[in-house]
Order: sequence, then C-alpha cells, then structure tokens
Amino acid sequence: MRYHPLTIPFRIYQLVKNSLFIGLILFVFNKDSEFWLMEYGRYAFVILVLWRLIYIVAAWFVEKYEWKDRTFHVYKGVFTKHTSTIPFSRIQNVTRKTTVFHKLVGLTSLTFETAMDGEDDSIHFEVLTKKHADYLIELVQPGKENTPIEESEPEVDPSIGEQEIVGEEQGPAQEKSRTIHFTPQRKDLVKASFTSLSFLAIIPIVFGVIDYVEPLLPDQDEVEGIFNVLLHSTWLLFGLIVVAIIIAVVFGFVRTFIRFGKYEISSDTRYIYIDRGVLDESYFAIEKRKVQGLEINQTFIKRLFGLAEVKLISSASPNNSDGSVNVNSLYPFLPIHEAYQLIEELLPTYKVHTELERLPRKSLWVKLLRPSWVWMIATIGLFYFKPEPFNIEQAWWILSIVLLILVVLNRILDYIHTRYIVTTDQIQWWHGGLTSRMFITKRRNMIEMSYSQNRLQRMFHVASITTMNRSVPAHIETIQDLPLPYALGMENWYLKRHEDVQVEG
Amino acid sequence: MSIRKLEHNLSPSFPKVRMMTDMIGNGIGFLVIGVLFWLDYYFAWPAWAFWVLIGALILSVLSTVWSMVEPGYLYRSWSYQYNDEYLQLSYGIFKKEWMTVPMTKIQSVSTTQGPIMKRYQIRSIKVETMGSSHVIPALEEDVALQLRETLAEFAKLKEVDE
Repeated sequence: MRYHPLTIPFRIYQLVKNSLFIGLILFVFNKDSEFWLMEYGRYAFVILVLWRLIYIVAAWFVEKYEWKDRTFHVYKGVFTKHTSTIPFSRIQNVTRKTTVFHKLVGLTSLTFETAMDGEDDSIHFEVLTKKHADYLIELVQPGKENTPIEESEPEVDPSIGEQEIVGEEQGPAQEKSRTIHFTPQRKDLVKASFTSLSFLAIIPIVFGVIDYVEPLLPDQDEVEGIFNVLLHSTWLLFGLIVVAIIIAVVFGFVRTFIRFGKYEISSDTRYIYIDRGVLDESYFAIEKRKVQGLEINQTFIKRLFGLAEVKLISSASPNNSDGSVNVNSLYPFLPIHEAYQLIEELLPTYKVHTELERLPRKSLWVKLLRPSWVWMIATIGLFYFKPEPFNIEQAWWILSIVLLILVVLNRILDYIHTRYIVTTDQIQWWHGGLTSRMFITKRRNMIEMSYSQNRLQRMFHVASITTMNRSVPAHIETIQDLPLPYALGMENWYLKRHEDVQVEG
Repeated sequence: MSIRKLEHNLSPSFPKVRMMTDMIGNGIGFLVIGVLFWLDYYFAWPAWAFWVLIGALILSVLSTVWSMVEPGYLYRSWSYQYNDEYLQLSYGIFKKEWMTVPMTKIQSVSTTQGPIMKRYQIRSIKVETMGSSHVIPALEEDVALQLRETLAEFAKLKEVDE
C-alpha cells in the first residue's frame, strides 16, 4: 500500500524548513558575495533541492508498505531498494503526533518503535488519516492473535485511506476501559513554569529582537538619551522593571502551558497512554510489560518546589530527534507524592517504598576521601593559566576553592540522599548530589549485575553496585559505597533470580 | 576480610603470553619513536617536536615497565565460575569487579587465538550479552572450547516475555 498522497507536500514542507537557513545565507545575506564557496554553493544548493524534490515525488510512487501474518513489510528507496520486515510482536511503543501542519489538513502521523537495533528499527508514517492511524494502532495490539480476523489482504484497505472524513473526531477505539491517572492542574503548571525557569527564555528572544531591529532604531545618542531619562527617574525605572518581569513571567507561563498544558496520563490493563500538546498534539502508548524500570529525577530547584520528573525505562530506542519533550518522560513536573502514587497505579507490580535504609557514617568518609579528578585537573589548569577576570589577581585560587566547596557539597548531599531497599523481587534506590535520582526495577528485568571495590572502598569495607537494564543503549545504574555485606547479599538475591523468571526452551 | 575468589583461574600461561604480546607492541612503539627521532635529526624539525618525542619516549618506557608487572597481578586477580544459570567473572587490579551474568541473557560466544596464544595452546572467550560484552582473556584450549559449548547451549534458553 502506498503512503498517503499528502506525504509529498509534507516532505516538501520539511525540505523547505530544513534548507531555508542555508538558502537565506546563500541567496539573501551573501547575495553579492563572490567568494567561491558562495558562488558554487548556490548552484549546488539548487541542484540538491531539485534532486530532493524529484526524489520525494518518485519515492511516493515507489515506497510501499503492507502487512501479512502480523508482520509489516516496508519497502523503501528509489534506487537502492531496501525491505524491512517487522513483526507486530516486536513493536514496543506507539507514538502518534499531530503537528500544526497535520492539524491544518486534519491528518496525523504515526511511529511504531521496536527494540531492534539498526536502521529499520521503526516504522514511520509521516502523514496518514486519523482513521487509518486508529486502525493500524488497533491492528498491532497484541492479544489479537486468537481472533482470526487477520486483515492481511492489503487490497481491501486502501479504501480506508481515501474515505476519511467519516467520523474522525471520536478518539481511538481502544479508549474504552482507560482510567485517567493524571492531568495537570493550573497550580501545577504555575509551579512548573517557575521551576523550569522558562521565564528566562525571554532573554535570548529579546536580544534576538534587539539585534534584528537595531538598524531601524534612531541613532545611538538618542537611545542613550532615553536611557538617561529612565535612569534619573526612579519611579519610571521601577515601573519598567515590574513590567519587564510581568512580561517574562507571562511569557514563561504561556510557553509552559503550550508544552505541558494539555496532558493526560491514562492506562488500561495492558498499556500506558500519554496524550499531550496544545499546538502539536501527540499520543504515546507503551505496553506495560515492556517497561524495564522507572526513574525519578529531581533537580535542585524542583526539590525546592517538591516536584519531580518520572521517566520510564523501556527497551525501545528513544530516538525522538524531532520532539522537544522526551517520549519516555511521564511528566516532568509531578508533585513527588503524586509521582509515587502514579507509579503504583500505572504499574501495580511496583511498590514504591518511602522508608529506606541509609548509608553508614563510614561511607561519608569514603565519599570525602575519594580524589576528585575534576577538581585536580581544573586546579592544575587554573594554576598554569592563572586567568585574571575583572583584574583580580587571586582569581585562580578563589575559583579553585569555590570548585572544591561545590564538589564537597555535592558529595555530602549524595551521602544524605543515598537510600536503598531490596525487597523480594525489586530494588529501589535514591542517590545523587545537587540533582538526585531514584531508580526502581524488578529483579527479572535486571540483565546483569556487578559490584566493585577500589582500594579505598576495600579499606572501609564498602562496595559499589552496578545494575544493567535492557534499553537502547543499555541502561546502567550505579550506587556507591554500600556496606560490603549488603552488596554480597544483593548478589545472592540476584542469584535467586529464577524465582521470578520463567524459561522457555 | 580477604578478597573473595571464584572457582576457576585463567590458564597459567596467561602472564607469559600477555607479557610477550605487550613486548612486541612496545618494541614496535620504540621502533617508531626511533625512526621519528632520526627523522627529527635529519630534517631538523622544530624544537617542540623533539620534546614531544622525548615525552613519548618517557611514556613508552613507563608502559614497558608496567607491562612487566601487570600480567602477574592481572592473572592473580582473575577468576570465574559458571553453573546452569549464571556466568560469574571477577577481575581488576586497582578496582576489583564481580560480574554476574544470567545465562539466558547471553547472546553470542566466540573464541579467538592469536599466533602467540596458539603456541601456548590457549584461547580467549568473548561473551556478548544484550547490553555489554565480556572477555575471558586466556583459557587452555580444551577448557575454552568446552566452556564455549556450555555457554552456547545455555544461551539458547530464553526467558518468557522477551
């Protein structure tokens, strides 16, 4: 089956978007330049763009996809043919994205991601009708193996591609038994816009605007004159600052609202769904059993506001080159208690503990005594170059001491934050200094485990534990300076892995 | 607390083979540096080139000295064991590591043998898992082949839910 015909304009739109900048450089900003790179660049640019246009049109006629026996066959390439075969069972998560472009024409895009490595690890439909997208999402759902209604004959389906406008407004068919776990409240969004420091985003924009309009402004002296008037009148200046702050905050809030305003985390027995976006809508679904573990990240500022980001560790490759928001992130600004609750609701096999064990005092000594390579190299560099910013001669050793204090502070915080617990089939731990992280996974999802001791740790009888989970690339977690008996105990615990794993021949 | 060792050791020829391999590598290194010194003298390169070469020479001498001692320590630090379910490795001179790899997560096993290893009849085994790869650097030929067979056999098993 061919892709939707609007794929052609979509790809052309993308081509224009991507080459606009180079085009502007070549034809507008340097239009009089006789530099050879510019001169030949213009020819090369025109040829490349034309070539791409021809290719885009030709590709639409040649590239096809079909499905048989619960397997996708995708045919790519105009000159070098490339066929990839992807069984439905390999599909790990489904992302559906409706950008502004798609909205204008009432269509959407769809990506099936798999855990396979290499180029053909995902199937991407750039443009397709909502109905067809729903149909495909429904099609790849596992559990359909038993029902013999295999829609394997692609000849029947093109009709679906054409008659679209029937009932596109109702949501996906599998929405039946979904329970909604989280939608952000206005309060959350306000907090989010502060913690993400999104109001600062106005600064580069303002500078950009100033740069742009500078030639249009009256000449330098006049601007300075206005500035002087402002400086002399305290009230005017004060008022102006207040207005500037309000604009920045409103701007930050609008920006946060557009990115995280419409957001819904829901689930049914088998899947977790994330729907989000005000302008660019996206839909993301991941099968629960394919979640390999969870992560909670808390930056320093988020901790002040009691917020945290929850991330899923899944075996599919998170290759969202175009998305501004990470697909595997549930929501970056969850109140911490809601985050715990959400994890348990979404994945009932996980139990998030709040009473965890702490490190013994000797671990603090190990952490403090460990040589800091960053500090040493920085100090040697500072000593050698002796930079004198603002003409302060002593700057180099002041900077070195500031860095040392930061390093030590980070380690003490790490000691305070490190907490851990191992239960029958699950581990959970917190660690990290300024940014602290929680990691939680099941024993059966750990594909490797190791513990290690360096000389210093050997003196204090402590060890580091490293775990590995399936993901692309493999997800590696390390917790440092646990008491050695605990590490040995954990190895024993891991050796009893067969308790929760079934082996098939 | 004494340092825990696993059941099996590497082949006793490991330090010798390792030392010889390192020696050849270092020999080639010295030769290259020698030629560069000669070129430096012959073409009268700028002064800094000479100091760079002196630096390289010092590093090579240090690494040669280290390659005399390291194999012995490394041999003593290495041990491994395996059963139906797990392959366990332990190694490291300064930082000691104990790895546990479930058999079901092993994806491929391969052995390699260089010319020096061939003379001493030893092989190295490389085990690749879903997320990483591990090398056991030297085992007697029959031990290596048998281990390869065993691992390959167990690696066929897969867990439900993959």
